Amino acid sequence: MSEIVIGISDLKVSNDINDILVTYALGSCIGVTIYDPVVKVGGLLHFMLPESSLDPQKAGENPAMFADTGIPLLFKSCYKLGAEKKRMIVKVAGGASILDDSNFFRIGQKNITAIRKLFWKNNILIDGEDTGSNYNRTISIHISTGKVFLKTAHNGMRELV
Amino acid sequence: MIYDEIIRSIKNIPAFPAVALKVMALIDDPDYAITDIVDVVKYDQAITANILRICNSAYFGLKYKVVTISDAVMRLGQQNVIRAVEAAGVSKFYEKAKGYGLEANKLWEHSVGVALMSQILSKRIFNREDAKLYTTALLHDIGKVVMGEFVDESFMKIYDIVSREGISFLEAEGKVIGIDHAELGGKIASQWNFPADMREAIAYHHRPDLMTDGDNNNAWLVYLADQACIMMGIGLGNDGLAYKGLSEAIVRFKLRQKDFEECIMMMLGDLERAKELLGIIS
Repeated sequence: MSEIVIGISDLKVSNDINDILVTYALGSCIGVTIYDPVVKVGGLLHFMLPESSLDPQKAGENPAMFADTGIPLLFKSCYKLGAEKKRMIVKVAGGASILDDSNFFRIGQKNITAIRKLFWKNNILIDGEDTGSNYNRTISIHISTGKVFLKTAHNGMRELV
Repeated sequence: MIYDEIIRSIKNIPAFPAVALKVMALIDDPDYAITDIVDVVKYDQAITANILRICNSAYFGLKYKVVTISDAVMRLGQQNVIRAVEAAGVSKFYEKAKGYGLEANKLWEHSVGVALMSQILSKRIFNREDAKLYTTALLHDIGKVVMGEFVDESFMKIYDIVSREGISFLEAEGKVIGIDHAELGGKIASQWNFPADMREAIAYHHRPDLMTDGDNNNAWLVYLADQACIMMGIGLGNDGLAYKGLSEAIVRFKLRQKDFEECIMMMLGDLERAKELLGIIS
């Protein structure tokens, strides 16, 4: 088994059944995993902000920074390895917010809204989700099985279903 | 009692490096001369070595290696050298930092992130960099270094209060342990004889709204920079994001959401280039 770490504003895809893709310390950022069980192709994206309109140039250099550029790239990268949209299993985690007295710090909430809109528009169902609240999350996906694991300080490790 | 044990254990914290303290005092005078700073620094070999390492890091992208402190001043400018002096002086306190479920170095990474963000915000809001603010930001979580193990022991208790009562991790920490990491940081800063404004900025870094000195902008900037790093998960511990958002910070600096998000992007870029700075404690 080899662990491949995905940093902030980064994505990786794989069709190697020995791979585990993992991303640590999701605060307001969101981790998205997708998996096609027929061809055993999966990917993990760790994006930080909802909309690429904030900085189109940065989005061009690094699409994984934003939801609206990162998610299409995640899917396309998996298609290249033979995955198909209709078979994709999609799971999301993160989007936490600090205890707010205004909307200013709600990057987490905005990120959640952004992915919901995006998936809705593209007819994609979210199969597993742990978002919001105010805790720190780590997620990983095993390419051999497509299983996604979520780790938090208060619950330890559990499968995200 | 845990409280007494914690207060006793801060007595064992080594003195703040004399060089970093002297430099702090020098830059407090607006007419300071960089040659005075060079004179203070060059006799401390350990700090000098670390400063040169920072200056020669990819972060600055220099073509030729800097070999002396005066060289560094000439090539990088005094602001950068002062920051390197402070980072080199402060880093040793984070070397063995444990707790909050963090792996080694993560609290240092968080501190560097907050320090870099503080400068980005200061530049955007006041059009200046501020070495004192940088040092304060590097040290804002110094209380966590001491509190870490105690918080880990009581984590479930603290977490339960946070989720049941909907209060911040800071408040819950205070309830369970008798003191929170910000207040403790303030006590450490007193022990180090830091100036009052720095001490306050550390002690109130989660609640600048409760400060008596309403003019202490640096406390608010550290606060904002800290929230940004917490949200981005930089050195994020098991206290998570359970801290108070104060919209007053936004009003005070007339920041738009877009400004804040742009600053966050810049900070992540800076942090990527500051790997050497992170490496000095490993």
